[in-house]
Amino acid sequence: MSNAQSFAFNGQEIEFEEGQSIAAALINCDKRELRSTRFGKEPRSIFCGIGICFDCIVVINGVSNQRSCLIEAHDGMKVESGE
Amino acid sequence: MIIVIGAGPAGLAAALAASRTGTEVALIDSATRMGGQYWRHRTSVTGYMSERADLLFSKVAAAESITHISEATVWSAERNGDMVKINYLQGGIENSLVGEKVILATGAYDRALPFPGWDTPGSMTPGAAQSLLKGHGVLPGQKVIVAGTGPFLLPVATGLAESGAEIVGLFDANSPVRWSLSLRALISNVSKFFELIYYARALKKHGIRPQFGRAITAFKDGVATVSRIDSRFAIVRRQSSLQADVVAVGWGFLPDLSLGGILGCAQKIDSDGTVIFSVDSLQLSSQANIWIAGEATGIGGADLSLIEGEIAGLAASNQEVPHSLLRKRARKQLFADALKRSYPVRDGWRSWLLPATTICRCEEVKLEEITDSVSELGAEDSRTAKLFTRAGMGLCQGRMCSRNVSDIVSGVTGCAVSDTERIAGSNRPIAAPISLGQLSDGNIRL
Repeated sequence: MSNAQSFAFNGQEIEFEEGQSIAAALINCDKRELRSTRFGKEPRSIFCGIGICFDCIVVINGVSNQRSCLIEAHDGMKVESGE
Repeated sequence: MIIVIGAGPAGLAAALAASRTGTEVALIDSATRMGGQYWRHRTSVTGYMSERADLLFSKVAAAESITHISEATVWSAERNGDMVKINYLQGGIENSLVGEKVILATGAYDRALPFPGWDTPGSMTPGAAQSLLKGHGVLPGQKVIVAGTGPFLLPVATGLAESGAEIVGLFDANSPVRWSLSLRALISNVSKFFELIYYARALKKHGIRPQFGRAITAFKDGVATVSRIDSRFAIVRRQSSLQADVVAVGWGFLPDLSLGGILGCAQKIDSDGTVIFSVDSLQLSSQANIWIAGEATGIGGADLSLIEGEIAGLAASNQEVPHSLLRKRARKQLFADALKRSYPVRDGWRSWLLPATTICRCEEVKLEEITDSVSELGAEDSRTAKLFTRAGMGLCQGRMCSRNVSDIVSGVTGCAVSDTERIAGSNRPIAAPISLGQLSDGNIRL
């Protein structure tokens, strides 16, 4: 068993370092597309990086509209792109 | 008690100055660590004159009368007689603090302009690139273009290169020749030359050659279009296509005015068209016992923010403010004005857009919907255009697009954006989103 910490993103295991945001951990694994938009279904990623623009929102443990650039990754989290 | 909101340069300087008399100070900030956006770090701050940041952190941490409340997002504020109540969320739990005096040091965020492809993954603000790198130890991409305008592009480009990214291009829309308009500001701020030399060396070391009068005018499938632009920002010719996985484009900064706006602090328009707060010579706002320091009183960078914060902290704790400090602020303000003159954002950016370019990222409103709301539905200002199209009505509450929407509508109507409209576009009823559940759990009044 490795000591690496990980969370699930749309079902895939993503490893992260302590203190990293969910968005940073995903970009570190080359997962740039965090969600797609409601109407146009266009891919979106991190944009302002500091919690202002809400482009990087994901569903965390069932709670929607969470800013992945601000929220630190924790072991065992369940993160989804949402609708 | 004095409540300081924001633990960037201005807030830290304010808290430290106020604590010198032993006054109880609560320093509230949304991040885990002190430093704000400018001194973002994981273990220690890096970059030009970073040692002063670590020194300030340790002084604030050692001050017994300062309580640092971290990871707390202030979402509203209200007057309660002579007191001010600050409502914040910490770890999903609603809490509040009451103090006699408040110092707002809420900082600023990158100003973004739309262009075809600015909403695709890989396009981000320089602040986002900086935050990924410095705050989380992650490179935003391998091949990066840094563009827009202003001195902030230099630390971003050199910082990324230092960490192993290939800087494919560094493009500033303005020319450094514009500094010749501000010789007095340069002469009275000679120390800035050392900062310039520091970055010039770093650029040279990494083989980065900045190019001026150029902008990224499109980004698609990992290819960025670099255009030569004139002094009005109109495209002279499309110059080249560059491969990049990230384009980090920023056009200076916009202050976040939400909290001061909720508390009724008077606002005005700065020389560069940005909405800022009016403050007196001691940083006191139009509201009794509310001081404002840093970017929200005019974008000016960390040096000016530190001085403004110190003045606000001294004034709020009834200490005398030395004249030398006021003179130092005047010198830095001269430099801040020179920055605005040297790195203007001109209207010509509107000509880079296509009818289908997204303007409001949250509500996915395209340029043609906004122009149609004016030419076909008769919208005369951005407020009406917003009601027709929902531009600016999404989760970010218009922080990203409201200024751009005003400028686009003004371009169609031919009428300049009024100060009232600019101020209305910069204010919002709550400072951070809060769920209805959290609202209904507590005894919160809006």
